[in-house]
Amino acid sequence: MPNVKLFASLRKISGIKEAAIPGTSAGAVLAELVRQYPALAVHLLDDGKIRPHVILTINGHPTDNLDAALAEQDQIAIFPPIAGG
Amino acid sequence: MIDQRIYEMFREIGQSLYTHTMISSHGGNLSIRLGDRVVIKRRGAMLGCLKPHDLIETRLDKNDSGVALASTELLVHRTVYLNTPALAICHCHPRTAIAYSLSRDEIVPIDNEASYLLKKVPVIYEEFASGTPQMANKVAEVLKNYKCIMLRGHGSFSTGQTLDEAFFWSSTLEEACQIMLFTKQVGEPFIEYRKNSENYGKF
Amino acid sequence: MNGWNGRILEIDLTTQTHKSYPLDMEMAKQFIGGRGLGVRLLWDMVGPEVDPLSPENVLIFTNGPLTATGYQTSNRFSVSTKSPLTGTVLDANSGGYWGMQFKKTGFDVLIVRGKAQKPIWIEIKNSEITFHDASELWGMRVFELTEKLGQDNNKRNVLCIGPAGENLSRLAAIMNDRERAMARGGPGAVMGSKNLKAIVVEGTERPEIMDQERFKFLLYETRKLLAASPLTSQALPEFGTIMLMNIMNNVGALATRNHQQTQFEGAEAISGETLSETYLVKNAACWACPIGCTRISKTEKVEGEGPEFESAWAFGAQCGIDDLAAIIEANSLCNDLGLDTISAGSTIACAMELSEKGYLDSDLRFGQADALARCVEDMAYRRDLGAELTEGSLRLATKYGHPELSMTAKGMEMPAYDPRGLQGQGLLYATSNRGGCHMRGNMIGLEVLGLPKLIDRFQVQGKSSFVILNQNSNAAIDSLVVCKFTNMGVADEYFARILGAVTGVQYDTGDLVKTGERVWNLERLYNNREGFTSKDDSLPPRLLTEAPTDGPSKGWVSQLEPMLKEYYRSRGWDQNGVPTPKKLAELGLENLVDPSRTLEKIA
Repeated sequence: MPNVKLFASLRKISGIKEAAIPGTSAGAVLAELVRQYPALAVHLLDDGKIRPHVILTINGHPTDNLDAALAEQDQIAIFPPIAGG
Repeated sequence: MIDQRIYEMFREIGQSLYTHTMISSHGGNLSIRLGDRVVIKRRGAMLGCLKPHDLIETRLDKNDSGVALASTELLVHRTVYLNTPALAICHCHPRTAIAYSLSRDEIVPIDNEASYLLKKVPVIYEEFASGTPQMANKVAEVLKNYKCIMLRGHGSFSTGQTLDEAFFWSSTLEEACQIMLFTKQVGEPFIEYRKNSENYGKF
Repeated sequence: MNGWNGRILEIDLTTQTHKSYPLDMEMAKQFIGGRGLGVRLLWDMVGPEVDPLSPENVLIFTNGPLTATGYQTSNRFSVSTKSPLTGTVLDANSGGYWGMQFKKTGFDVLIVRGKAQKPIWIEIKNSEITFHDASELWGMRVFELTEKLGQDNNKRNVLCIGPAGENLSRLAAIMNDRERAMARGGPGAVMGSKNLKAIVVEGTERPEIMDQERFKFLLYETRKLLAASPLTSQALPEFGTIMLMNIMNNVGALATRNHQQTQFEGAEAISGETLSETYLVKNAACWACPIGCTRISKTEKVEGEGPEFESAWAFGAQCGIDDLAAIIEANSLCNDLGLDTISAGSTIACAMELSEKGYLDSDLRFGQADALARCVEDMAYRRDLGAELTEGSLRLATKYGHPELSMTAKGMEMPAYDPRGLQGQGLLYATSNRGGCHMRGNMIGLEVLGLPKLIDRFQVQGKSSFVILNQNSNAAIDSLVVCKFTNMGVADEYFARILGAVTGVQYDTGDLVKTGERVWNLERLYNNREGFTSKDDSLPPRLLTEAPTDGPSKGWVSQLEPMLKEYYRSRGWDQNGVPTPKKLAELGLENLVDPSRTLEKIA
């Protein structure tokens, strides 16, 4: 099943750095992740949609499309809003 | 040949505009700037169900073969791109905002989101409200300083770096105007909840 | 006068005299302050015949009308000069407190010309200027010197060079308030070439604000916006810029081992997350800044500011090093010696590759954490290989027969973001007026972070529009002068309005961005006059021809050529990248390229 890596403040909030989470789309995996780690909900989702500025990458490609289909070996990474120089 | 992803972006936002009753069947327009070129809706196309051939790409500063098919409002869009930092333009006919534009020179939202993000939306007037250089210049002039403006009785023009940002401002305006209308219907004394709100009209 | 002080202070080190005169307000309205005003003055004063390390080069320190007003981040200031590293126009920008204090002395601009016969330092107390003998101070490092000269953040501020600047390292920084840096492009060497060790300022005059009510309103709105943006209210204060390490690695745009790869297996070990768990003590802020992105880190050997993302990258991934303590120590050493961390790290990385391939006879290898401190010290003191490293990676690689192994654009070492993972960023580096630099219009917001909206990082068509807007907007912000991180919560339209509220001069948002465009074009004219052409708008061959073999950027090279062509057209330049007369007239620059106009000569 897809593997999800969490970064920055999301690690402390959830207590984990990564986990295998089932789902066939990015949105489904996100929903399941939040179900297993409810503390993440308010940081990741707003009314069922991904919060603005949360960064989600699938195999290293940033995307804002939660309907994107996922393969079994896909790697998802989630970052809270970040900036820098 | 216009990139598939660009087409999808136009189609998605065009559809949103239509389903949110911000345009009629053939009204409104969307465009983006790609370097020194513009991508805009074809004349006579329906934003609510765009097909790939409904998007025209043409030069920013002068006409080339694409222009015969482009929207009659191409001049406005070009003028805005040449005179402001905009990279995308959304032009639509948000009903409630149009109603409000008929009786005032600026729309100052009272809801939290719009007063925070828009502060105020100027209403401008032009005698020939479509396609003339005078109108194009006036629209561009005001868009230099506001990301969303109303052309009285006609509709909104809003700009952004991307098409969905431009759409966002017009959509926020329409929501703000609907809230203003409901407030009037509720008809109870307004309890001011925002600090410094007296300054929004001077933004 | 509102906003601006309206006065320029000019110091001649050769004669140890000074004079002050009014700021040309028409020029000020056109260029505002900071970087804009700096390049405009530099244009008049330093032409192609001037060697950057000669007495004829100048240092132009500039404030802006917003400086010291108390508007969020109104502490930043700028220095303009001709770069000893690149030979291009250079402005370097710093935070802290010095800029605020200099504004309070009653001047907008400090021009330093000539060369002192012996080391001196200058004290400016309002309009009282004193030259002091610095023979005892010459050789002193930055931390000790800053304390010795009486640094007191809100009252008395020290700007100085360390041994690197004294020894004319082309990577030397000008340091202020102990650990803030004006680093890129080697301005510290210019200061060292003038025998100027330090400039200390104390001021008591507050700038005047035309419309106090409107100013307060906009200040309040800015506070709200910065608090509402998770970037400025949570991410930056809690984690700092170094949070980018894991994300840039994840998307395959973290240059590694001298840009040989785009991902670093040791990224986690040198990430912001790891820093938070190990050496981070707390965060800190510059004057009037509510964000507080500065890190304070402590290892067994050092305690102080940093590391920023770029510094951690340059000594980390770029050198193949995953020892965070060693990186923090190298960063601290650069601050104390007065060196640019990005160029230092990337030059060491270049030397590592040259050594591994046998072109350079040295035992430097990627991954050698214990080599960092030694290299940095040797660079500051021009010892052994350090004497060659301190000339920058392009001169180093050229000397050993392989200039293509220098990861520079126009001679300036590029920062962390690998253009093969971000097409727009490549165009940015290639066209940046001061060389390979990300602070002239960073594209990662759009191409990775979704700020304001995610765009396709591999798309080429239309990319130039975004780069141009970013470049123009950044140039305007650098002229105000405020911190670009404010721009993450506050849109340009607020800056235009606050400028109007403070100065009484009406700028609309379009005018403000146009000012940025004017500044950009003048910088371009400056470089053209120096002899730079479209050939210099380029990237190292590795980025144009060697695609990463794995990771998310696998198979991609920088598509610079088509982007560049579109960029020239979109900027209103001809196909050789020269601003057209029409564009210059539009920006009010047409008089500056009148061939009959001569450069001002030093009296």
